Amino acid sequence: MTNPDNTKGEKPVPLGGELIIPVLALAFTAYYFSTIIDSPWTAQVNAFLVGSILITVILIYFVTVALRVIRKQADLKLGKLLEPYSILPTKLIYIGLIIGYLIAIEWFGFTLSTFLFLASSMMLLNEGKNKRFTIALAAILSLIGYGVFIVAFETRFPDGFFEKFMKSVM
Amino acid sequence: MEVNAAFFVDLFFHTFEFWWVIIPSIFLGLIVGAIPGFSAANTIIILLPLTLLMEVEVGLMFMVALYCSSRMGAGIPAILVNIPGTAGAAATPLDGYPMVKKGLGQQALAISFVSSTFGGLLTTIVALAAMPILAQVGFYMHSVEMIVVMLFGISLIASIAAKDTLKGLIAGFFGLMIGSIGADHVYATPRGSMGFLELYDGVPLIPALVGLFAVSEALIVIEGGKVLKDSKQIEKVHTSWAATIEGMNIALSHWWHITWTSIIGLIIGVIPGAGASIASFVAYQQSKTYSKTPELYGTGHPAGLIAPESANNGVTSGTLIPLLVLGIPGGATAAIMMVVLQYQDVQTGPRLFLDRPDLGYGVFMAMFVTYLLMILTIMPLSRYMSRVTLVSTAYMSPLIVAFTLIGSFVPRDYMFDMYLAFAFGAIGYLARKTGYHVAAILIGVILGPLLEQYMLRALKMSQGDIMVLFQSDLANVLWAILALTLLLPNFMARSRNKKRLAEQSNSVFSEDT
Repeated sequence: MTNPDNTKGEKPVPLGGELIIPVLALAFTAYYFSTIIDSPWTAQVNAFLVGSILITVILIYFVTVALRVIRKQADLKLGKLLEPYSILPTKLIYIGLIIGYLIAIEWFGFTLSTFLFLASSMMLLNEGKNKRFTIALAAILSLIGYGVFIVAFETRFPDGFFEKFMKSVM
Repeated sequence: MEVNAAFFVDLFFHTFEFWWVIIPSIFLGLIVGAIPGFSAANTIIILLPLTLLMEVEVGLMFMVALYCSSRMGAGIPAILVNIPGTAGAAATPLDGYPMVKKGLGQQALAISFVSSTFGGLLTTIVALAAMPILAQVGFYMHSVEMIVVMLFGISLIASIAAKDTLKGLIAGFFGLMIGSIGADHVYATPRGSMGFLELYDGVPLIPALVGLFAVSEALIVIEGGKVLKDSKQIEKVHTSWAATIEGMNIALSHWWHITWTSIIGLIIGVIPGAGASIASFVAYQQSKTYSKTPELYGTGHPAGLIAPESANNGVTSGTLIPLLVLGIPGGATAAIMMVVLQYQDVQTGPRLFLDRPDLGYGVFMAMFVTYLLMILTIMPLSRYMSRVTLVSTAYMSPLIVAFTLIGSFVPRDYMFDMYLAFAFGAIGYLARKTGYHVAAILIGVILGPLLEQYMLRALKMSQGDIMVLFQSDLANVLWAILALTLLLPNFMARSRNKKRLAEQSNSVFSEDT
């Protein structure tokens, strides 16, 4: 039996993924309100104004989504969020490498961690092809980064083995 | 020294003699402008010891050339890889990047260069001619008037939301909420900072910019193999100089558009505290409002690229006016320039134009010559720059991630800002994958705290009376223009629909007869 609201028999639109941002926004707004509840009015006025509009818009959006789900025009699957599935494992490892890079930079310093991140992620995304070229490119780019950011612009990145060695040499 | 036409001609040729400092400064400015986190202001600070050693004229040429070219440089990655170099170029990718995706990267760059240059040249001339009048603008723009100017920028959220109103509004107001993080402006009460001391001053813009645009883009582009996938689009990138000339022609045919959007930038630039980000959003929004084809905005429409690029270069001339005429710096770079001038015993303010007209007017002439030299040096490069889109994303994406995350560290030297950029990257990625506009979030993050600041100032001065918003003549005029801006697109769309329907019925009638 076909649904009267979905007479053409079209596939329901997956809207689950589209709810993530509103849910995040709602949670953040609730948290924000909790931090200003006992504050003077000067700290509250803007947040209550903006936050109440945001909550209203989100609630309207939730109602529209709920109506579409009830009419079977939509469902709560994640849809395009995780697509394309073929690249999902690579993407997750890549995100792991980015987090690793952020942690490593405090331990190994800018140059070495940038080299390790560039080499490993380029190799990952290139499916292990052109290994020599990739390593050479990562080395050149991280050395350029060292020259520009640390030597020329004197940016105060955490020192690692390479920076300490170069300091002692120079 | 008499200030007449001969004086300006002499000054022009005299300024040209400094090409040896202007041209290298242009290239340095293009590089620092293109890297998120770097800017003309912090580059001048870093090179301050060198600048102070230079003769005052050479130092000025260096700072002005760096300032102008960094503005243009910020637009290059915004167009090519959807990553604005500074917040002032945040509106540039709205139409610049879709052009690149159509294989029109070379044309987009040429359009950006021509509109930046002509916007800059034109506003320099206007600034020279109307300096005393423009310098007064800052005195008339109080908190109330600034609230309306902010709302012009924020109303761009409504324009962006036009395709999917609810999602656009959610993104924009979520951005405004994020922009409210930090200690309040009166009692310094921490709000929404999740216990992070680093957020007490509010959300830093560069990590937000880097995360929302660069990190999220880096995660998206790995899903394809290259930015351009279609062979026809790739073929377009391989075309000759004709594409650059085509881009120049498109920009020049929009000369009137360049003119009025750059004037918006000039006026906003004159207001202390307002900046290129506000100007570019306001210009984009106004450009879309008064366009005959608003539906094309966001799809790679040249006018949508011209507006923010002309406006943010118009700001460059504007920010220097209060510094030179009144001795009040209109922005960070202008403040640093003032420090350099004071170190050299040059006092800015009205007497500068009487005591040292060669320096007072010389700053604007330096700007004029910089723009002339900039178009000559950068235009030939557009053909090669556009090839960035052909580089495999396996190399491009890690490079974007590494160097933009580093860029987010630079302004404050906090490791926290790199993590924050990553967090914004996650939000940006989720937003893009589920159809929320990251530009709408960014508009909120940029303009939200400014709006709150002016709103509180106005309310404090009026002791909480909200009617203060309508008690100034200038503010009321601005409110009327804002209302017109918001309502006009609907009327224009209706009249276009009516016209189209009338034409259709006429043609059906004539076919029948």
